[in-house]
Amino acid sequence: NPKGAVKDSVLLMGKSGSGKTSMRSIIFANYIARDTRRLGATIDVEHSHVRFLGNLVLNLWDCGGQDTFMENYFTSQRDNIFRNVEVLIYVFDVESRELEKDMHYYQSCLEAILQNSPDAKIFCLVHKMDLVQEDQRDLIFKEREEDLKRLSRPLECVCFRTSIWDETLYKAWSSIVYQLIPNVQQLEMNLRNFAQIIEADEVLLFERATFLVISHYQCKEQRDVHRFEKISNIIKQFKLSCSKLAASFQSMEVRNSNFAAFIDIFTSNTYVMVVMSDPSIPSAATLINIRNARKHFEKLERVDGPKHSLLMR
Amino acid sequence: MEEDTKPLLVPVGGDESNYGIMNIQFNPEDFKCKRPFHVEPTNIVSVNDDMQRVTDEASAMNKRIHYYSRLTSPADRALIAPDHVLPAPDEIYVYSPLGTAFKVDSCTDGYGKNSSIVTIFMIWNTMMGTSILSIPWGIKQAGFTSGIILILVMGILTLYCCYRVVESRKMIPLVDTSNWEFPDVCKYYFGSFGQWSSLLFSMVSLVGAMVVYWVLMSNFLFNTGKFIYNFIHDINVTDIVPGTNGSNREQACSQCGREAIKYLGMPKFKTRRYENSKMVYISTRNFLVICPSATSGHTPQNRSVMFSSGNDTGFELFEEWWNKSQTVPFYLIAVLLPLLNLKSPSFFAKFNVLGTISVVYLVFLVTVKAAHLGIHLEYNWFAENDFFVPEFRILFPQLTGVLTLAFFIHNCVITLLQNNKNQENNVRDLSIAYFLVGLTYLYVGMIIFASFPSPPLSKECIEQNFLDNFPSDDIMSFVARIFLLFQMMTVYPLLGYLARVQLLRQFFGNAYPSIFHVLILNVAIVGAGVAMARFYPNIGGIIRYSGATCGLAFVFVYPSLIYMISLHRAGQLTWPALIIHIFIILLGLANLIAQFLL
Repeated sequence: NPKGAVKDSVLLMGKSGSGKTSMRSIIFANYIARDTRRLGATIDVEHSHVRFLGNLVLNLWDCGGQDTFMENYFTSQRDNIFRNVEVLIYVFDVESRELEKDMHYYQSCLEAILQNSPDAKIFCLVHKMDLVQEDQRDLIFKEREEDLKRLSRPLECVCFRTSIWDETLYKAWSSIVYQLIPNVQQLEMNLRNFAQIIEADEVLLFERATFLVISHYQCKEQRDVHRFEKISNIIKQFKLSCSKLAASFQSMEVRNSNFAAFIDIFTSNTYVMVVMSDPSIPSAATLINIRNARKHFEKLERVDGPKHSLLMR
Repeated sequence: MEEDTKPLLVPVGGDESNYGIMNIQFNPEDFKCKRPFHVEPTNIVSVNDDMQRVTDEASAMNKRIHYYSRLTSPADRALIAPDHVLPAPDEIYVYSPLGTAFKVDSCTDGYGKNSSIVTIFMIWNTMMGTSILSIPWGIKQAGFTSGIILILVMGILTLYCCYRVVESRKMIPLVDTSNWEFPDVCKYYFGSFGQWSSLLFSMVSLVGAMVVYWVLMSNFLFNTGKFIYNFIHDINVTDIVPGTNGSNREQACSQCGREAIKYLGMPKFKTRRYENSKMVYISTRNFLVICPSATSGHTPQNRSVMFSSGNDTGFELFEEWWNKSQTVPFYLIAVLLPLLNLKSPSFFAKFNVLGTISVVYLVFLVTVKAAHLGIHLEYNWFAENDFFVPEFRILFPQLTGVLTLAFFIHNCVITLLQNNKNQENNVRDLSIAYFLVGLTYLYVGMIIFASFPSPPLSKECIEQNFLDNFPSDDIMSFVARIFLLFQMMTVYPLLGYLARVQLLRQFFGNAYPSIFHVLILNVAIVGAGVAMARFYPNIGGIIRYSGATCGLAFVFVYPSLIYMISLHRAGQLTWPALIIHIFIILLGLANLIAQFLL
């Protein structure tokens, strides 16, 4: 994109205190430099250079705060904010006492989207579900989902229930990312072919910035269903450690007598993880295979147009 | 932590030497090694080892917590795992990489580690206040039978309201209330009005208690000083009592004019002496019980007459400089005002045991005195009598006012019960504590009342502080006064700290904004205490007014109102519940109004 032009953005919106900053920090491995229980609202346009799925930029906005300054600023900047939006992710705090108000602000955001970026995808996250008793979670989420779907018409919204203290947050964001990839079926097919050719146990494709799993192939049942989130957290933690030494993470090989795992940059927006359970295959062989596959997958991306991104409008 | 030689971690499971792999040192006493780590033993030891000791969810949570802790600085409270997502402490193991697991033996932060006995004792100790000194007077004001009935009824009523306070947190849905105290619950239901009003009533109870303490401390310091002075100078002192108009005391000594002495027991010798051209009877220290005051409203005027071969001027100088209401309250300022300005009076919390000793000693003293004096009871149901009071009196609200403060613990009961090891026994332990408190009050009140020597003295003579009924040269009450004086001196800074923290935090957001704010607050509180000691040292009155006021909010109105509102929100409010709790609120209101009318 030429310098100065408005980048395509992903909007992360919600009431002040609904958990957006924590969410962004966790998903994108940003260090939170201050107490998230801050007194003011977020004004977060130009500071966010988090690149995501190609050249998307993540913008955080507090919506419906008590601060009149915030309100006025928001209203006057509305067209700027809602132009060129690819994705709107709206966060609802499940324990909020002001449901009417929340819905009201949500609807005004939707109006702005309808005017400025009518093709945007809408996702609603019902957040902080860990505060609800376990036996009531499904019920409460279903209620909210119905309300939100009804209020969002004519736009369509997809709802998730999330909490930072279980796997639901990671799964929700992985689903969001999955839905943003237009040719995902083709990608999965190619991935399966690749895995079968190199005789890998499992091959994962991660989004580069967030290590959210875009697609994966496994040739046999794996026991741990939480392994994606765990790998993601481990790698992000390692990335944080690397950044403290002004180094950046590029690739990793983990090997013992039972398996070998390779994590490496794949295309411009993805990482790949290959797990081989036959330790007799030398590393060099797998690395060559990965390198060759890289070229093939890059071609797949470029096929989709001159935008050089995984995301097609 | 360094003194704790018992290892925090207790080994559980297999022996590390079973594994033939290189041993990684894991010292169970290494408290600094606090980072939890988890490695699946299957991946390290052998593929075929199917024994899975940790669930997938637990290991995922472990990884999550580890990662989140990297996202913030260690001082930051954000992204700390709340209690409800973590497994219970006894389900947490620390694994060594070779598969042995260590279980954390006990919680270091003291949460939930007190046995029932300790909890009961803590509640009893916190509730036992200086109101025990006013219970006999309260029984006298209400009448013997109605006094006993009222103690039982008020005990049960306040216990029920305390139970409502404890349960009030649980009825709040969707919010993590594990750190909440009762004022937080009030704020939740009533908004900032609830917050401010609960602050106001909490301050009433605290400042009321501090004023009572000041009056009592002046009293005890005065008596202690007098005792020591008289002992040193070997003075035979008697207490002269002014008579009142129309009371029976004048009849016993009709020739005495305005001055009369009440005494019990045969005096060693009796002389007449002329003082201010009025004749007075004087006796030496043979008094067991005295009746020092006029009817309420008059400041007690104890004047002492000296018998000594030496000169009287030294004694009169002493009397002038050591006066119960004029000078001693001011001397206390020099000791206590600096202590109030301390930032953290946690040092004084160590003296908590003095309170228990004082109460136990009081019970002992009461028993010994009763053994000496015997029982003097006579039942007149409604009629006034020269020496006795009727069984049912119209002044009974004064007792209920005192009892509201005597049974008051509602603003901190949640915190006290939180440390109970078996939380399901909370209600039972609370009831046992209330029962023991009621028993103590009943015992002291009944024994003092019953053994008060009525034929020569009237039951009306029972003082608002029953220790005042013992002459200043009585050894046992001297010891009691010393204990209580020291105990109050250590509790006074703690009360001041509580009042300061609540008030300043609410107004300035900071518990210690500057030395000037704190000093002004302390001077105001001390000033109130000194003023009361000077002009209205009737602790029974102060206790009943402040008790009824703060009891109105915390005992009667708020718990019942919150219960009714939460039932109504849950759609479970029934007519009987509504009627009963409105009745309780009206009782609280009547209690407060009656204090001012009667």
